[in-house]
Amino acid sequence: MTNLDLTKPTAELAAQGTPLLEVDDLRVEFRTRSGVVKAVNGVSYSLGAGETLAILGESGSGKSVSAQAIMGILETPPAVISGGGIWFQGRNVLEMSAEDQRRIRGPGISMIFQDALSSLNPVYSVGFQIGEMFRAHRGMSRKAARAKAVELMDRVRIPAAARRVDDYPHQFSGGMRQRVMIAMAIALDPRILIADEPTTALDVTVQAQVMDLLKDLQQETGMGLILITHDLGVVNEVADDVAVMYAGEIVERGTVDDVFSRPSHPYTDGLMSSVPQVEAKGGRLRPIVGQPPNLADIPSGCPFHPRCSHRRLGAEAAPGRECSTDVPPLRLVVPGREAACHYSEEVLGVRAP
Amino acid sequence: MSEPREHGATAASSLSTSSPSTPGTPAPAGPARAGARGAMGESLLEVRGLQKHFPLTQGIVFKRTIGHVRAVDGVDLTLRRGETVGLVGESGCGKSTVSKLIVALERPTAGSILYKGKDVARMGGRALKAYRREVQIIFQDPYASLNPRMTVGDIVAEGWAVHDDVAPRKGRLKRTQELLDRVGLNPDYVNRYPHQFSGGQRQRIGIARALALQPEVIVCDEPVSALDVSVQAQVVNLLEDLQDEFGLSYLFIAHDLSVVRHISDRVAVMYLGSIVEEGTDEQVYASPSHPYTQALLSSVPLHEPHLRGQKDRILLQGDVPSPADPPSGCRFRTRCWKAQDVCAQEAPALVDRGQGHPSACHFAEARMVVPVDVE
Ligand SMILES: Nc1ncnc2c1ncn2[C@@H]1O[C@H](COP(=O)(O)OP(=O)(O)OP(=O)(O)O)[C@@H](O)[C@H]1O
Ligand SMILES: Nc1ncnc2c1ncn2[C@@H]1O[C@H](COP(=O)(O)OP(=O)(O)OP(=O)(O)O)[C@@H](O)[C@H]1O
Ligand code: SF4
Ligand code: SF4
Ligand SMILES: [Mg+2]
Ligand SMILES: [Mg+2]
Repeated sequence: MTNLDLTKPTAELAAQGTPLLEVDDLRVEFRTRSGVVKAVNGVSYSLGAGETLAILGESGSGKSVSAQAIMGILETPPAVISGGGIWFQGRNVLEMSAEDQRRIRGPGISMIFQDALSSLNPVYSVGFQIGEMFRAHRGMSRKAARAKAVELMDRVRIPAAARRVDDYPHQFSGGMRQRVMIAMAIALDPRILIADEPTTALDVTVQAQVMDLLKDLQQETGMGLILITHDLGVVNEVADDVAVMYAGEIVERGTVDDVFSRPSHPYTDGLMSSVPQVEAKGGRLRPIVGQPPNLADIPSGCPFHPRCSHRRLGAEAAPGRECSTDVPPLRLVVPGREAACHYSEEVLGVRAP
Repeated sequence: MSEPREHGATAASSLSTSSPSTPGTPAPAGPARAGARGAMGESLLEVRGLQKHFPLTQGIVFKRTIGHVRAVDGVDLTLRRGETVGLVGESGCGKSTVSKLIVALERPTAGSILYKGKDVARMGGRALKAYRREVQIIFQDPYASLNPRMTVGDIVAEGWAVHDDVAPRKGRLKRTQELLDRVGLNPDYVNRYPHQFSGGQRQRIGIARALALQPEVIVCDEPVSALDVSVQAQVVNLLEDLQDEFGLSYLFIAHDLSVVRHISDRVAVMYLGSIVEEGTDEQVYASPSHPYTQALLSSVPLHEPHLRGQKDRILLQGDVPSPADPPSGCRFRTRCWKAQDVCAQEAPALVDRGQGHPSACHFAEARMVVPVDVE
């Protein structure tokens, strides 16, 4: 018995109060010869129909790995989902049969991968690979699938689509391959689209077109969008909410307006100060000091403490809030804002409760 | 005004001291960045009329050539010692192809690349070997450009096998670890394999590999696109430090126009295989005069919530034409809101049309599209 509800309109589900996706305390580790790499350490969020959640964060902080876990495409081993749950339309994906998981992939949850080149098969033409989606899931004929492929390539603005449909991946530029990936990901009108750095390889005019395209799709179909990106500008222009990750955890969460205007976690604050401006050349950039943590050996207490300018150690610290020993939980700081920092109120410049 | 910057303290001491053969003439140890001042050295790399046309084929077994993709179609560029030239433009306009041509991974269809006055195409054995060491590339794709079967340490040290005078055999492991540290990777990672790293971490491995050979020129093809903004800032600062210290020159390709502005002395804007506008960062960003540059700048997403929607985005109509069949005359005309009849007949030359910097538009006219010094 399957009960995947891939036909039920998303609006109906929303009315029932079932979020499209719920991730609860997700944990992923890699067991390697040189130790256990804790890539995702208790990530939780939910996504409703038509919503856009941006995930921002340190490079290497577990954004792609958590997305792969949701898609059910983690290679296990070496990866192990060591805790938590992933609910798609109210059903735990981790407890589904492999068959059901496969049925969700594509029309249920779909993903634009970060590595556009290696995700495309070099020996098949791009048109064939896009068409494959329609043959496999919709049983279309080769000819019909090819026509659909051209249509999708047009939709993601690949010039001369009809002529380039039979070209191979290496004949496309980085940005163009990214658009091919986007075409494949949206082919089956997914309920949830996880876009992992969808526009990093694109120039800003095409980037704007692609983001518009994703927004249109969202409006038409009520698709939920998880946008993983390093581009604060893109987040600012498209997302409603943002979650910031560091060392496999969400360290801050809130609306884009709030988080970007007044960060309440020192890591987010550091990110904001690192951005160069297009309006002026500016002086030397100001990155966060120190190196990102080794996930096989995450610092005790607050994982950010070795690099934090707000940290309080030893006798300076308030009881139970020593930064190198006490782990700061993700907690409500002000209405609508959560942060995993003992001293968020100070960072925000508001009085502690 | 660029701020005075500490020398030595933040600079790569390991890179400067451990090798007797520090490449090139070190930049004068002034308090400010030479590059940012515009006082550049002699010209190092000169690209003239560069073209690369890829055959378009049909058929699987018996390939027939049915046309050509004019990926690069007449590019001129000059890179001086100690200078950073930014290269921006539409995706697919030929930036990576220009990079590969410069580092001799592809052969030009026409045109020439002169390095220190010598034609790279005519270089033989020794000169070419030196060229391949002195001119390095950081690849755009951090996934495809690292050999999955080699450890990170081996990847970074790979070039030393060919150019073994760069690093004495004995201290190589230590040097490799220093390089990893410099690019913001944990030195303990030397024995890991590429698949164990995230996208941004892999990009830094590529940067360390390029630095290992102590080059004079680095072609940086989107070196920071995969990085978070803090690591990006670290890498940009690192590139600037190395430039101050060794007088390195960079051709810096990126889609992030803010980073390009920050790091570049001059900026060239490319569209469909050729350069349409060129100037100092100030000229190009504050008074762009080619319609494509204006459209590009107007599309930059701003990260400040209070500026959202403040900028008038110039929406380009139509599709990017295929480089296999570019429009006659001005290549931008199919999408240009200012196009006149003459635009279809005459290709506009890249010359100064009274703006103080060259622009390839018959009707070049400065227009401000980025808010200036908003606070
Ligand atoms: N097969 C593996 N073995 C060991 N560690 C791994 C493996 N795959 C990934 N990791 C580690 O897991 C962590 C999370 O990786 P992930 O790709 O999710 O990062 P990310 O947040 O997407 O970074 P980026 O922004 O650079 O893409 C990284 O620190 C990486 O080194
Ligand atoms: N080996 C090849 N065979 C045929 N066409 C090619 C080949 N390599 C590149 N091209 C084409 O040449 C054009 C320029 O590609 P290139 O990779 O230089 O663009 P780019 O400016 O670097 O783009 P991006 O910003 O997307 O990386 C593209 O139209 C691409 O499809
Ligand atoms: S808990 Fe302490 S170390 Fe961690 S971010 Fe807050 S102030 Fe800094
Ligand atoms: S030459 Fe004509 S078509 Fe080309 S950019 Fe200028 S106005 Fe537009
Ligand atoms: Mg990633
Ligand atoms: Mg490229």
